[in-house]
Amino acid sequence: MNKPAERQGLSLVSVDVGSVSTRAQFFDIVEGRYRFLAAGEAPSTANSPTQDVNVGVLEALEQLQEFLGRTLISQEGLHISPENESGVGANAVTTTFSGGPALKVAVVGLLDEVSLTSVNKLVHSSYCRVVENFGLNDRRKPENIIDAICQTLPDLIVLAGGTNRGASRSVVRLANYLALALKLIPERERPQVLFVGNENLQEEIDNLLGALTKLHHAPNIRPSLDVEYLEPAKDKLAEIYFNIQADKLRGLEELRHLAEGRFLPSASAFGRVIRFLSTVIDAPKGILGIDLGAANTTVASAFAGELQLRVFPELGMGSSLGGMMAETHLSQIMRWIPFDLKEDVVLDYLYNKPLFPQSLPTTPEELAIEQAAARQVMRLAIGKSLPMFPREAIYPLPSTVPWFDRILVSGSTVARAPRLEQSLLMILDALQPVGIATIILDQNNLVGAIGAGAEIDPVLAVHVLESSAFMNLGTVISPVGKARGGLLMRIQLVRDGQKEPVIDVKEGGLQVIPLPAGKAADLYVQPMQSVNIGLGPGRGGWVRRVVGGTYGLIIDTRGRPIQVPGAFNRRQEALLSWQTALSGF
Amino acid sequence: MIAPVSYIQPLTTLRRKRSLPVEGEVLVSLGATVHSSDAVARANLQAKHLILDAGRALGLPPERANRMIQRSVGEKLEEGAIIAGRRGVGARQLRAPAAGTIAAISESRVLLQVNDDSSFLRARVPGVVIDVEPNRGVTIECICALAQGVWGNGRLADGFLQAVGTDRDQVLTADQIDMSLRGVILFVGRCEQRQALELAAQVPIRGLIIGSLSTRLMPIAKNLPYPLVVVEGFGTTPINSDAFKLLSNHSGQQATLNAQYGGPGGGSERPEVIIPIKEAGRPPQPVAMQTFRIGQPVHVLSGPDKGSVGEITAMLPAPTQYSSGLRALSAEVALENGQLINYPLANLELLGSIALSMHLRNSAYDR
Repeated sequence: MNKPAERQGLSLVSVDVGSVSTRAQFFDIVEGRYRFLAAGEAPSTANSPTQDVNVGVLEALEQLQEFLGRTLISQEGLHISPENESGVGANAVTTTFSGGPALKVAVVGLLDEVSLTSVNKLVHSSYCRVVENFGLNDRRKPENIIDAICQTLPDLIVLAGGTNRGASRSVVRLANYLALALKLIPERERPQVLFVGNENLQEEIDNLLGALTKLHHAPNIRPSLDVEYLEPAKDKLAEIYFNIQADKLRGLEELRHLAEGRFLPSASAFGRVIRFLSTVIDAPKGILGIDLGAANTTVASAFAGELQLRVFPELGMGSSLGGMMAETHLSQIMRWIPFDLKEDVVLDYLYNKPLFPQSLPTTPEELAIEQAAARQVMRLAIGKSLPMFPREAIYPLPSTVPWFDRILVSGSTVARAPRLEQSLLMILDALQPVGIATIILDQNNLVGAIGAGAEIDPVLAVHVLESSAFMNLGTVISPVGKARGGLLMRIQLVRDGQKEPVIDVKEGGLQVIPLPAGKAADLYVQPMQSVNIGLGPGRGGWVRRVVGGTYGLIIDTRGRPIQVPGAFNRRQEALLSWQTALSGF
Repeated sequence: MIAPVSYIQPLTTLRRKRSLPVEGEVLVSLGATVHSSDAVARANLQAKHLILDAGRALGLPPERANRMIQRSVGEKLEEGAIIAGRRGVGARQLRAPAAGTIAAISESRVLLQVNDDSSFLRARVPGVVIDVEPNRGVTIECICALAQGVWGNGRLADGFLQAVGTDRDQVLTADQIDMSLRGVILFVGRCEQRQALELAAQVPIRGLIIGSLSTRLMPIAKNLPYPLVVVEGFGTTPINSDAFKLLSNHSGQQATLNAQYGGPGGGSERPEVIIPIKEAGRPPQPVAMQTFRIGQPVHVLSGPDKGSVGEITAMLPAPTQYSSGLRALSAEVALENGQLINYPLANLELLGSIALSMHLRNSAYDR
């Protein structure tokens, strides 16, 4: 008799609390690999009138149990039973959170281009809104700065400055001002302080601020002028973020208990997956990820394991849609709508959406407005992220995104579009990738869960990312530059050793070459004149093992940036022709 | 599924907590009766300070200068009062450059608060103080009829309710505004005319409750001197029939219009119309959490029927597909006109309303 194979891996429940939805997802080992098996979803209940995150969590878990046909919740309330031999419960629980308001943060540093730049980068990697920003070059009087801190009442002050053998007096002077400000704020309302500056000053900072408020330390984010070291400070900031939110929102502490302390801000979990991907797949040009949420948009990029992460609490598809509207001319949204809608109709929809962020578009016109807004939110987020990308990133043109090998997109508006070509077009129109990039869609909103789950078992991320739970939409080839006569390049596909006919690629449209998911082909590309696909202007050659997907290879020759005709008839024609180019697949 | 709720209640016990963002002074006592505009607490949220360096003024190192400071935190000073140093001709001194209060002393630095501009926390609801949190705020209870909105311009006022027209789809125009409306809170279907809003400010009316507001008027609405509460949202949707009936039933009565910011998407309390009712008993409080069930009155939040009210007649077991192509968990709803229509649950909110259920039970509709 064969001995049963010893079980490898763990069953995992992942709970994500967002601003609109609470999700509970279940992963388990099937035939030796981790699989995403089921999900439950409920409205988020952090806000009025319920004001307890766990009401939504419990409903999502109950729904998950029902779909799964498996008992997860124990009789003692919000507690997942450890998995037993009869298949009840789960081995581990993780939580991710993005449901509360962004933290109000005051950032303090010495020099604008050194510590203040780094400390801003640090706080923008989480759900933080900077309400005060000051350094040595601030022209306000110290008392005005103190008053500003008292009036804005930040949740957190992040103090940076000084390399580890560098400035100390200036940092101490800033800390003295902070001490004065803290003394003016009643104890219960005092902001916590995170010190990420000159490590030699930790004791002095302790003496100055430690008795006044909760003081946290993380390693210096600028240990020397040419080194930026943000990762430990990011972890500390994530911990502080949770603790402050737990003080404000009922149920979060219980949620942490449920997950035995395995808690991550959703953006950190998202960033973790993007970083992980850049280390396990061949992606010399890096990975780009964008998570379009209701209250926030997160942009992450990673190059050989180095992560850049930026959260935009002012950009989202629900309560934060107003942030996009404040920075957008209506024509930038109208240009993506293939219906002859009055501007007022579009404006009304966009201003009502933040009032009811959970609402769904039921008509084609509403859907078109929402998808047009999604393009603009992502476009703004990616535009604001351009300075974040590191030196390794190569830009074919100053206004485009850098070359990326893979692009992963998450967020309900994109992932749950009724038709996949709508998802793909939103991504292509918003991000306007250049060169050769494979587009992956997180159609089940799993990125956060596997990012958090990677802490328990890194293999989980590998297995789930390779599974059909993520949709590989295809590989897009977007040449940059112009050539006389409109012929941009010639390409030839070699599939299973068989050469296919040469294709002339002209400018001005979208074209699909079928190549199913799971298949790969070699591609010979010969760009004309100065046209560039990432190999250099006019340079061509073999691109080996181009992977297929739902839409195979997508040739996007609409130019960068895409010029959408202004007149409605021509605009409609262009938008519909792009949809048609994809709809047959 | 947990449902969002909009409260349109003919009779309820409303409790509202009012808290200062920082510690301050509570101005009312337990059991006190308050009007909506009464200040219940105050704090100085806009304090201005001066940093006075005793070390520099006295020409001494910080430790020695610190010992020369003659004042302590909380002490009130007149302009010119000596803070540090010795008396006598020629002695170096640190004097208060303005009248103020010593807010903090850190090493040889003295922080002098030079203003006392208290910000007042208003009750924003008329009623009785049933709880006091020292230095922080109060909870006020009010027996009232209640109608909630989705957007407010931040202002607050009391006044007598008066309808513009008899139809819930009535459009507010400038020619309907005259001096007879002075001091009233108007309620009306919608408004698309800037002049109407501005003329109402000149009368002046006390407040405006409106079904929908043209999006383009939002910047003007934000700056109106009177409170404005939007019940449905932006666009041309008329005020829903439940809210219109409730307001009409109380026409001529005193109401509080609390047009506070926030709304269902913002996570805070909604703007509200509060109509105090003299009632001997204590009716139930609005239920904080409810789930969608058959028989419940609902309000359509989005889509072509936005603003309609009806009653859930079936919870659909499988997701329903809509013309947008989206599939969503849905309910079948009987609208007031008898039509049966499916809506995504995400596009519905429960109406904490008794009147509508009774209305529907009395009306005949076909399944």
